[in-house]
Parts: sequence; C-alpha cells; structure tokens
Amino acid sequence: MILKKSKSLLNILSTVGLPVLFGALIYILWQTKVLHALFGTDEIILPLPDRIGSIISDNFTNMLPQIASTLIVALGGLVLGSLLGYFIGVAGAVFKKWGMGGLTIVSAFNAIPLVALAPVINNWTRDLSNQVDIRSTVAKIITVTIFCTASMSVNAYRGLTEVKPFSEDLFASYGSGKLKMFLKLRLPNSLPYVFTALRVSVPACVIGAVVSEYFAEQVVGVGRQIRENIVKGQFPTAWAYIAIACAMGILMYVILLIVESIVLKNRRAR
Amino acid sequence: MSEKTNMPEISIKNVSMVYTDSHGNPVQALKDVSIDIQKGEFISLLGPSGCGKSTLLRIVSDLLTPTSGEVKVCGKTPKETRLEQKYGIVFQNPVLLDWRTVRKNIRLPLEMMKVPKEEQASRIEQVLELVGLTNFGNSYPGQLSGGMQQRVGIARALAIQPDILLMDEPFSALDEFTREKLNDDVLSIWRKTNKTVLFVTHNISESVYMSDRICVLSPHPGRLSAVVEVDLPRPRTPEMRATPEFAALVAKVRNSFEGI
Repeated sequence: MILKKSKSLLNILSTVGLPVLFGALIYILWQTKVLHALFGTDEIILPLPDRIGSIISDNFTNMLPQIASTLIVALGGLVLGSLLGYFIGVAGAVFKKWGMGGLTIVSAFNAIPLVALAPVINNWTRDLSNQVDIRSTVAKIITVTIFCTASMSVNAYRGLTEVKPFSEDLFASYGSGKLKMFLKLRLPNSLPYVFTALRVSVPACVIGAVVSEYFAEQVVGVGRQIRENIVKGQFPTAWAYIAIACAMGILMYVILLIVESIVLKNRRAR
Repeated sequence: MSEKTNMPEISIKNVSMVYTDSHGNPVQALKDVSIDIQKGEFISLLGPSGCGKSTLLRIVSDLLTPTSGEVKVCGKTPKETRLEQKYGIVFQNPVLLDWRTVRKNIRLPLEMMKVPKEEQASRIEQVLELVGLTNFGNSYPGQLSGGMQQRVGIARALAIQPDILLMDEPFSALDEFTREKLNDDVLSIWRKTNKTVLFVTHNISESVYMSDRICVLSPHPGRLSAVVEVDLPRPRTPEMRATPEFAALVAKVRNSFEGI
C-alpha cells in the first residue's frame, strides 16, 4: 500500500513536475534574454515575459470579451464536432461494409487546411443573418467543428468495434439483439476512445478557433487580436493574446485530464 | 418409447463443418462427428489446435451452424435451447466488462434475461460464494488476477442456472498452479450443482483429471478418433495425478491421436 502510494506520488511528480520545471527553465532563459541571443531576435519582436504579464494584468477586463468570443467558438465547435464525429463513428460501426472507407474520406476531409476552408465557409453563412456577429460566429464554429470531427469519428469507430474477443459471442449466447449489445457493450467500450479523441481535439479546438478568427468577417477574438496587433506593430499586446490563447488551451486540457481520471478511474488495471 | 427414456441430453449426430478460408478454398473443420452425452456427465473434447473442438462447442451452443448433421439437446435444437437459457458458456478469456464491478458483471446475463431484481441479488451472492469471491464483489476486473477473473467468468455462467455448462479452453491462459486449483474448483462446483459439462481443452492430463469420458479429436480433417472412458474414482484429488493409473490413462489418450 505504502509502496503503491509513493509510486503514484512519483507519477504525479513526473507528469506535473517535469512540465512545470521545463516551463520555469524557459521562463528564466526568456527573462534573462538568453532566448533572444539563441534565436537572434530582440525585445521588440519577442517582449520579455514580465512585460507581457503586466499588459495582461492591466488590460484583463478589456480582454475578457475577446476571450469569451474565442471560448464560445472553441467550445461550440468542440461539442458539435465531437458529436458529429461520434455519430459518424456509430454509422461506420453499424454499416460495417462502408465504415472504414467512409472514415478514410472523413480523415481526408480533415486534411484540407483551415486556411482554405475558412473563406469557403464564410461564403456559406453570408446569407444566414443580417447581423455580422451571428453569421461570423456560426462560420467560425463550423470551421472548428470540421477541425474536431475526424479524430472523434475514427476513435469512436474503433471504440465501438474493437471489443474484447468473444464478447460478441457472449452477448449472442444471451440471445441479445444488436441494440442491447450496442448499449451494454459497444457504447461503454468506446468511452476511453472518446477521451483519446478529446486529447487531440481539445487543444485543436483552441487553435482552430484562433485561426478561424483570422479569416472571419467580424473583428473579434483572441486570435484576431493577435493578428491586428502584429499588423499595428504592437508586439507586446500581440504576445499577451498569444499567452492567453496558450493558457486557454492548457487549462482546457488540464480540465479534460481531471475529468478523464475521474470517469475512467476503475478501468485501469492496478 | 424405451429409446426416449434413455435419450441423451446432448446428441451430436454426423456433424460436419466446412469453412471457406481467406483464399476461397474449402476447409473441412469437422467430419462426421457423433457423440451422445448423458445428463450430468463431464465430457472433455480434447485435441490439438485445428482439430475442430472449439468449432464443435460453438455448434452445440448455437454460435455456429453445421454444414451438415444435427445437434439435439433434450430433443430440441441448439437455438431453442439457447433461447431457453439453458447454456452457461465460459470462454478462453474471462470476457469481463471492465467498467462493471464483479457483481455487475455477473448481473449482466440476468439483466438481459429480465430476472426479477430480488432474485438477481440472491443468485449473485450464491454464485460468488460458489467460486469463493464473496469478498471481491465490488472489485473491478482490472483489480483481479487472471485466475480470479476466470472465476468471475464461471460465476457469471452459473448465475443463469444453466442445465449445461460449456467451457471453451477456460484455463488455457492461466499458469499451471492456478489451472490445477481451478480444476479442483470446477469439479467441486460440478459435484454440487450436478450440471452436464462439455469441456474443451488441449491439455491431456487436465482432461483425464476432470472427465468421465474424453472425446479425442484429431485434425485435418477434424474428426472423432477415440472415446476414452476415465474410470478413476470420484471425487478426484490432486494426489491422483501421481498414480500409475493416471499415467496409464494419459498414455492411452496420447496414443489415440491420429495423424499429428
């Protein structure tokens, strides 16, 4: 028991401690300008961390609407994309003959760069509403949705079909129908795979939201602020938004890991 | 009429099974196999891989349909028997659902068969005691050893109170020590519950130790090459494994294989 506890403590130390240590090292190198020397850049292009930090703390209330806008797009796209992906996975598992081929097409669709996708989607939503914030938000959410669909559909398909050997026979021996087998075997079996997909798509949804804002009609959001401030040469402010985008991604990822550890607590062999 | 009173519980008559392999060639997995099994008997299907022993078990349990021949269980088809929930099947792997506790894993077939809630609970406790896992009812499969997981598999098969227990190489993934312990456990459960057991194995001494009769199957094509009566007294004890009678039976079984 004691050995197990100290082992898990060591585990936490290595999973949390090492990244924190690495981050601290980068911070020190950055603040002491060693990083600038290494990359051959200056403080105007790459402002010092304390300067970025003070911009964030001074302007945080002004930044909040930008953060909220990005968060809505990221989370909206994540939820819709994950649901759509899961349904595609279900369809693939139900129509097994078409399943693998269909998923390959979905994955190929995912390979289209966002940069190419965003203007096309803007065209789709042009006539949706006469309010720019609505049609622009919808366009951005669709972009992120597409960005998040593929990993979920592939993982859901695997989770729904890769059941333990003989488990289908076991259910068949109980005279189980397909629906019962789906609800009691395939669905719960897919849960860890859903988290595998989310580990990819949670960070991706923030990136997707930030990039979609670059091409959006409405000038709003953390990503758009990065662009606007770089154009204006206000590098410290641009970096402040970059830092916020990073923090959003990391925070959502940490929340995901916590939820996963609670939901899948009993699945792991101990 | 007199034939009916002596009717075997499981009657396997001229069963043949032909598969088509991945190249489209026909493969004869079973050829003309006939076995009669009486109620309460402990029968082993013994043979090397490819002899069709698991195929035969799957035909009896209605997971496969034979190419020709027929199986009757108390005069009914395997499908009717399966739908009457008279089969308890134990597979090569325990096939436990990782997200359910031991109790809830055993409950699974009872849920599917719509057994009343109160009866579910009492049956679960009963079979947990039978396999000696009363203290592990709330554990998850991931917390149990391989041997304990297979005990849960056996408990789950017993929970539906089947007339016939079908075991498909249930201990092949376990180490020798755990296997011998579980051999004794299954025999003691069999004695207490008096079920008909069809036990598939590739382990000669295991089949001698457990069975009343051993059906020896030889491969290419899978066929019944001998039936060996095991006349060792019951209950079987671990000491018997060292007796000359036991060794003689093992040798007899080994010599009855053809074409390996």
